[in-house]
Amino acid sequence: MQLRISIQDGAPIYQQIVEQVKYLVAAGRLKPGDDVPPIRVLAEQLRINPNTVARAYLELEREGIVTMRQGFGTTVAQVKKHLPRREKLRLLAEPADVLLTNAHHLDVGLEEVVILLHERDAAMQPKSSK
Amino acid sequence: MLWEIWGRHKVKFFWDGAALAASCFFVFWKNHGASQAVGEMLGCATFFFFLGGYGQLLVCLCNFEVDDRTMQFSFPRRLLLKPVSTAWLVLVAMFSGGTVIVTIFVLWAELVWRHVAGFSASDLLWTSAVLLSFFWWMQALAWSLPLPKARMLLLVLMGMLHYFVWRMPQMRANAFSGWQWPILFALLGSAVPAAWIGLKRMRQGSWEGSSRISELWSSVRIASARDRQKKFRSAFAAQFWLEWLRQGWMLPGISAAMALLIVAVFGAVTWVLRKVSGNSWSGGDPETLGLTYPFILALLILPLQISVLLTPVLAKFDRVQLSSELPVYIAIRPMTNGGFVLAKLVMALATSVLTWLVVAAAFVCLILMDQDALLSKAGLVTPLGPLPLMTGCVPVLLLLIVWTWKNLVDGIGAGLNRYAWIGLASVYWRMIFLVGLFPLVETARTNVIFRETLLHWLTTILIACLAAKIAVAIAAFGWSLRRNAITARAIGWIAGGWLVCGLFVAGYAGHVCSAIHQPGLRLWVALGGFLILPLADLAIAPLALAWNRHR
Amino acid sequence: MKFPSPSSAEAVIAVSGLSRHFGTKTALNDVSVFVTRGSVLGLVGENGAGKTTLIKHLLGSLKAQAGSVRLFGLDPVRDPVGVLGRVGYLSERRDLPGWMRVDEFMRYTQAFYPAWDEAYAGQLLKQFQLDPAQKIKSLSQGQQAKIGLLTALAYRPELLILDEPSSGLDPVVRRDILEAIIRIVAEEGRTVLFSSHLLDEVERVADHVIMLQQGRVVLNGRTDEVRGEHISAVLAFAEPPAKTPVLAGAHAVAGYGSEWRVLFGGSHLELETAAVSIGARVVEERTPTLDEILVARAGGKS
Repeated sequence: MQLRISIQDGAPIYQQIVEQVKYLVAAGRLKPGDDVPPIRVLAEQLRINPNTVARAYLELEREGIVTMRQGFGTTVAQVKKHLPRREKLRLLAEPADVLLTNAHHLDVGLEEVVILLHERDAAMQPKSSK
Repeated sequence: MLWEIWGRHKVKFFWDGAALAASCFFVFWKNHGASQAVGEMLGCATFFFFLGGYGQLLVCLCNFEVDDRTMQFSFPRRLLLKPVSTAWLVLVAMFSGGTVIVTIFVLWAELVWRHVAGFSASDLLWTSAVLLSFFWWMQALAWSLPLPKARMLLLVLMGMLHYFVWRMPQMRANAFSGWQWPILFALLGSAVPAAWIGLKRMRQGSWEGSSRISELWSSVRIASARDRQKKFRSAFAAQFWLEWLRQGWMLPGISAAMALLIVAVFGAVTWVLRKVSGNSWSGGDPETLGLTYPFILALLILPLQISVLLTPVLAKFDRVQLSSELPVYIAIRPMTNGGFVLAKLVMALATSVLTWLVVAAAFVCLILMDQDALLSKAGLVTPLGPLPLMTGCVPVLLLLIVWTWKNLVDGIGAGLNRYAWIGLASVYWRMIFLVGLFPLVETARTNVIFRETLLHWLTTILIACLAAKIAVAIAAFGWSLRRNAITARAIGWIAGGWLVCGLFVAGYAGHVCSAIHQPGLRLWVALGGFLILPLADLAIAPLALAWNRHR
Repeated sequence: MKFPSPSSAEAVIAVSGLSRHFGTKTALNDVSVFVTRGSVLGLVGENGAGKTTLIKHLLGSLKAQAGSVRLFGLDPVRDPVGVLGRVGYLSERRDLPGWMRVDEFMRYTQAFYPAWDEAYAGQLLKQFQLDPAQKIKSLSQGQQAKIGLLTALAYRPELLILDEPSSGLDPVVRRDILEAIIRIVAEEGRTVLFSSHLLDEVERVADHVIMLQQGRVVLNGRTDEVRGEHISAVLAFAEPPAKTPVLAGAHAVAGYGSEWRVLFGGSHLELETAAVSIGARVVEERTPTLDEILVARAGGKS
């Protein structure tokens, strides 16, 4: 699992990890049953605080994307895809707010945003259909 | 460049000026109504002020500083980067420094020495010339050879050489009379090119990297380290090892070098004499004896004298560091301040023991070389033969060891202080106090009334001083214990050591008193023995170190 | 997980109301710092802000003139042995004995700490690629930092204090050191306090960040929260203002013409209100980096 952390990016580091893992899952690069690196290993690899990684994993578990298991000191996670629908929509509300705020600032109308969403979905499709 | 030296060492110039002024005042006092004894003491005090003030000046005018990279004293590297020729740098430093040195010395001589020691004009010229030569050689050595140990040794040898040269006019041997000025000019003349060559090589980077000698030395050390134990047995052992490597080997090293030199010279002289007078030489020649005793005396006195001067050096943790602050890599170790002090004390003891063993070995060499003369003389002293004399030397050796150790660690509390000047002032004070005893004894010998009152009160004075010493020690130890500056074990070692050494000194001195049929002196000598050994100062040392460590 | 609650965790470092003057200059002014076990504190601030002074107080090299300093509940001045045996320290200037060899220095340090792990030390030595027979004064800056760190890590101290660990080092060495620090953080119960000018390092590694400015604590909080409390926004004016606009709550305002970038301390709503009050509108918003916050706060007279 290759992640990239950017400090310049506005989002907190743990959020970047969460987002990137979610993206990898959506793009099919992380399939259900795959192992996610243990906290320590990922922290050393990315050179960030293990607490941050732990928080990201906690967040991912809360959202139901990974499950954590205690196994000889390291946690092995499995990727799941099932979440209650209400939970999913609630999770999407926040990024939607960010998108809409930026659109408002850039003076982009809602219809154009919807067209953009269609375009982006199409760009992602070929990878996830594998 | 001159402005920079002035800026950096303003304070030292000021101190020297103050010392000069104080000495002038002393001279004035002496000549206008001070008593004989006080006058003598003042005279000696001026001598020490001169040593301190002038000595400091010598050092700072030498124009060296600690090089960051090689961690040694050398010419300030940044000056070498300036677009100035090497010759110019050398000449400016030497001549300006030399001028200042000579001028200030003349000042001292005119204002102080003329009245104290009766200096004459020719003496003045000769002495200032010798001083100039020594100063130039000091500079030359300081600016060259990045081998610190070799440099120090060379400096000591140079110092000895200059001392002999200075004494040449007063020496009895008339063979030398015509040679003094040419020799001096040779020294002066060779100092400048030596300095120039040293600086030029430094500028060209010939001194960079480890020289072959230091690499050889390193490989020897590594080879010997392989057989050594992997770990230190305790934190104390590690600290002792550090102290020994930094400070401990200096006194034995210097003594060994001196002893080697003296033995070599003596051996050469006796060999030459034997050759000259053929096989008929019996060895009981008074001329040979005349040569022997000064040598023996020189050997004996030297470690004692040097040890007094070494105290401020011993109190430092890192020789090269100029401030009194503890180096960080020592200050953050989990060791009590008392532990650090104890490591220094044990190191001083090891130094002392090793030094005197070296001197004893040299002594034995001398005897072996001239055995007929000395042993026969020894045989005259004890009818039983030389062996009891040898065994009788053991307590004397122990006494010398204890005395040197006392010189080394007395005032260590002052040296470990937050402010470096306290340590320096303590050295001055001790020297003045020590010297002040002589006029006291003189007065006691000549002035009967003074002697009677002194002897009447002596016991009380000694007991009061001893009681005060013990009280201060107890208070200081108690305070240290409460502040976790020392462990009870360390206190035990220090107090126990004091008791044992005190008992030994008192016992031996008492024995000597009985031997010379003066049993009445025994009490005083015993009390004195306990008094001169440091206890209160050692008790204060951890507190002084704590004051320094936690600013 | 590793989010220690204030009630259960013992404060490894507890500095309260610390003040320090050097003559007339105030180095620290009423500084309070609390570090719980297992967390990483980043100390930031411009040169001369008081970071090294604060760290020296923690080690007992400086005595508190006002206020108190406690490590593991002990006073480092009154009980140096109890405190220093559990602390590993790397100073800014490295302060190593140049005359010692690497293996000699390791042997010397080992004698003071019974918890010294020889295997770990050997592993670090190999990893840092240090030659044990070399004299410390002939090592490069990076190697000196490595040996300093090695002798601070090898006895697995409960608290690691690092003063500018990456200063003057090339990126390769910086990576090595950061990895070593993170490995220590990942072990249970180890606490780290480090000061740094490299703010991206602080953001990556530190849980909490404290910013000192002229001896005062101006920022104190969790790293992500501190960033979240600030907004870097662009304000657009209808017509270019005559002089630099003053925005209440902004730490820095810079720009030209009708668009000005501000670094604002507060929520989005407060920013909107303030912007409207001076006749501008917010056209761009993002979370600033610690670097920008530090520079903005240092530049301003807050």
